[in-house]
Amino acid sequence: MVPEAAASTNRKATAPARWLGRNWAIVFLLLELAAFGLLGKNFFSPENLQNILVACLPVLLLAMGETFVIITGGIDLSVGFVMGFATVVCAKFMVLLQAAGLPPWASIPLAALICLAIGLIPGLINGTLVARLKVPPFLATFGLYGIAYGFSEIISKNTPIGGLPPIAGEIGNEYFFYIVPGKTVSFLVKPQNLAMEEMRSMISVLPILVVIFFVFVAIFAFVLRRTRFGQHTYAIGGSMDAAVRAGINVPAHLTWIYIISAFFASLSGVMYVLKYVSGRADAGSARMLDSVVAVVIGGASLYGGTGAVKGTIIGALIIATLETGMVNLLIPSHNRYIAIGAILVIAVLIDQFFPELVGRGE
Amino acid sequence: MGGMGNRGAAAKVLTFLGERWAALFLLLLLLGFGFLERNFFTFKNFSNILYYATTYALLAAGETFVIITGGIDLSVGFVMGFTGVSSAIVMRDMYAAGRPEAACLLVGAAVGLALGLIPGLINGLLVARLRVPPFIATLGTYGVANGMALYLSNGFPITFLPPRVQKIGNSFLAYLLPDKGFTFLHRPEGLKSKELRSLIGIVPVTVLVTAAVLLVFAFILKRTRFGQHLYAIGGSKDAAIRAGINVPSHLVRTYVLSSMLAAVAGVLYVFRSGIGNFTTMSASYELFAVAAVVIGGASLMGGKGGLGGTLIGILILMTLENGLNIAGIPAFYRYIATGVILIAAVVIDQFTPERKAGGA
Amino acid sequence: MKRVLILVLALLFIAASFGFAQKKLTFAYMPGIEDPFMRMIEQGAAAKAKELGASLIVGEYPKAWGADIQVPILEALVARGGFDFLIVVPTSNEALIAPLKKINAKGIPMVTTDTFLGNGDYSKASNFSFPLAYIGTDNVLGGYEVGKRLAELIGNTGKVYMNTTNPDASSVTGRRDGFLKAMKEFPEIQVVGIDYNLDVQETAQRQTSAVLQKHPDLKGIFGTNLFSAQGAYQAVDNAGLSGEVKIASWDATPDLIQALKDGKVDLVLAQRPYQIGQLAVEWGYKFLTQKATVPKKVIPGFFFFTRENVDAPGSQSYIYQ
Repeated sequence: MVPEAAASTNRKATAPARWLGRNWAIVFLLLELAAFGLLGKNFFSPENLQNILVACLPVLLLAMGETFVIITGGIDLSVGFVMGFATVVCAKFMVLLQAAGLPPWASIPLAALICLAIGLIPGLINGTLVARLKVPPFLATFGLYGIAYGFSEIISKNTPIGGLPPIAGEIGNEYFFYIVPGKTVSFLVKPQNLAMEEMRSMISVLPILVVIFFVFVAIFAFVLRRTRFGQHTYAIGGSMDAAVRAGINVPAHLTWIYIISAFFASLSGVMYVLKYVSGRADAGSARMLDSVVAVVIGGASLYGGTGAVKGTIIGALIIATLETGMVNLLIPSHNRYIAIGAILVIAVLIDQFFPELVGRGE
Repeated sequence: MGGMGNRGAAAKVLTFLGERWAALFLLLLLLGFGFLERNFFTFKNFSNILYYATTYALLAAGETFVIITGGIDLSVGFVMGFTGVSSAIVMRDMYAAGRPEAACLLVGAAVGLALGLIPGLINGLLVARLRVPPFIATLGTYGVANGMALYLSNGFPITFLPPRVQKIGNSFLAYLLPDKGFTFLHRPEGLKSKELRSLIGIVPVTVLVTAAVLLVFAFILKRTRFGQHLYAIGGSKDAAIRAGINVPSHLVRTYVLSSMLAAVAGVLYVFRSGIGNFTTMSASYELFAVAAVVIGGASLMGGKGGLGGTLIGILILMTLENGLNIAGIPAFYRYIATGVILIAAVVIDQFTPERKAGGA
Repeated sequence: MKRVLILVLALLFIAASFGFAQKKLTFAYMPGIEDPFMRMIEQGAAAKAKELGASLIVGEYPKAWGADIQVPILEALVARGGFDFLIVVPTSNEALIAPLKKINAKGIPMVTTDTFLGNGDYSKASNFSFPLAYIGTDNVLGGYEVGKRLAELIGNTGKVYMNTTNPDASSVTGRRDGFLKAMKEFPEIQVVGIDYNLDVQETAQRQTSAVLQKHPDLKGIFGTNLFSAQGAYQAVDNAGLSGEVKIASWDATPDLIQALKDGKVDLVLAQRPYQIGQLAVEWGYKFLTQKATVPKKVIPGFFFFTRENVDAPGSQSYIYQ
């Protein structure tokens, strides 16, 4: 139903216009940054820019898994509560291992690993339900949504889990470099005995969590773009029947996809524990829809077959920048809900009206 | 999906059961809880289940229309919050200005219902004319409606409505006092404590209103050309166009209907609670509504579904919660039980042979 | 070259801080979640700031309760800067320690209101004792007092039920624990259940209806916040049992006060959010301008509304509006 005129101009679109159509999200992000930079206060400080990165980590991680699921044409509603479940499991194990006498250098990574392993279970269940038992993804993951939340509240006995080794918080809240202008640069360890003035001028660079995140993203972006696994993922989303005919083992593949989604949700849970030194059953619940939004702004279609890691990252950054920027301008929150709603729709409208401009898939 | 096994009587029985698994499942739930708990199988409790099902039933009814066309409407929960808050504000301000109560109620309700048309119109235009995927278009209105509700209420529930609002919203068609008698529409006065506890209200007024609305919509879906066209559109948009159906106009009307039903739910909510409440993020009304529709036999791909099935879906969700609660299952074990039972039910459905049915 | 740069920066900094000293003081308020109680704190703080010739900026109201929602907003607010004193409602007594400590290390003094860090005792040196004060209600004590009074209302015997919001909010769990502690002192009273409505009033109402069905002889209900109490009394009212089932509620919203007058609710605990906001600004102001020592705990107390005192002129200031 695209108007004829629009369609014909598309065909004649010039190279810059085509570039703009394909990269409108990143252009929008840059415009957003520029606007907040002009209107805001200290918006371009290294602190604030890194805050944006840290702030969007939970959405980014959930959205990473969601990207894989959405490319196959599914949806995973359980990611938020799986993340909450992971925070509870991880925190619980840290407390237990600490009580068992393990030193923090052993208990923290061990608990994280156990949690990541247990976190695969909801993914396996989702995957089995969707792939083997043909339960619609919406219902399967909606069931898991309740189940994961119930288990988390039961494990945590309806109270956030605390009493973790304090050093966990240092991993989650520290940076790789600390620079005190004109004085020192130190690696990983915060310079000690600084005067108040120096404290204020200290610049911290590269949050540890962000670095960990990018390591995983690099791996999975590679998987999606450059491996057979990635190609099959797009193929299944493009047409399930065609994928079957092409000899892809669709059920096995889909199961893996939901496991990946649960893995990212659990990873987000572990990061939550490292940053906030506690576990909470509903830790990620408010981020579930944001994560879907990020994937869609990033160019994926809920009908499957399109989407990319890069797009999802930009989508999450657009949301996080908006959040940070509107706080910076002291704009009341209800405007942000309205703004996100509007951006979402505009994003897709651009996508609709310049179909030839927007790169479909990878 | 299932095998084409309509040879033999066993397969026939299976097919029959498979088609009605949701209804059977509801029956099983009722019987099961009835056996477990003597307080479950009472008139009062069924009345409760229906009373609380009204909000979800209205939201899910609209959702059914949308899902039949192959779309989804995520905005219903917040449209309900937005229209509820708006109508409560009108009632409060008119009442404060000294208008008669009846006028406050009528104008307030009318404003709420009228405002409910706007998000639906926007959703419909976005989906039908601008071809925005329904998930995104309605997620957009979800954010906007949420923001508007917060803006209007400023984070406070709207209170000081005319007292009659809540009275009407919580009245019953009749009251029965065992061994004593009936009264219509108003609660008998001067009862002793023992009698109060045994007083039975028959048919909450909100349930009546909801039932009436649902009947009208069931009629639209089953007996009008418009309803049949929705199935056609959901079955295949191209085929619908070729058959000469004006698809965009049908889609716009569908989203308006969905939004309107959400507004009815919002206004009824004000009548029941006596306040205007912005719904919080944790409520996830839209997810429950969609789940009910899918349990009721609709497919998110469109072309399938019906109001009867949806109603059964809602009653399953409500009965599960009520029954597990009465059976004394602690709060969060109920979440697990609900999830497991839901999934189990759908899995069973997948394994029963199914006749491809194109209608309600 | 570098030295010149540093010199310029230092001069700018000094100039800026002089400029600041002459400008009016600015307070920042970081709420915990979107609800009337948090809004009342803002109103109180804004009124006091105006009175003192200071100004108040407010961080975005988080849409859900939790450190992961609040901290990004808080950090964005701090990165923006432009304030001298922070009034914060920490959404977790553990998770907020690290982020707030980082903020404190930048030389921003703060008080925590409504909820606290650690166990709330800032008087002993610990990794969470850096805020100047906790200003808020003693939730455990409040819950305990509610329990005592509810027990009295139902004649110290029978079944009671509690409807509460989110198990992960420390202020509300304090009320829950205080209430349960009080109930232990009454061997004749049986707590038949605790439900969590996750801040949805309709859920609270549904849960209460089911409990009334299971326990037709229920005698008392404690609704631990606005949504819980409103849902609970409506369920009881629908069942026609107002006055029969005694209801204790928390937070004096106009709706609950009206319900108290109508006989649908029997006890309302009013916290003093407006005063909490006022006190936070007042002590912050004294600290910044006179280097006053702030008491580590400022508890403005609470007030019980009953049908006897609800119309008294002295009670009216406790209503949230």
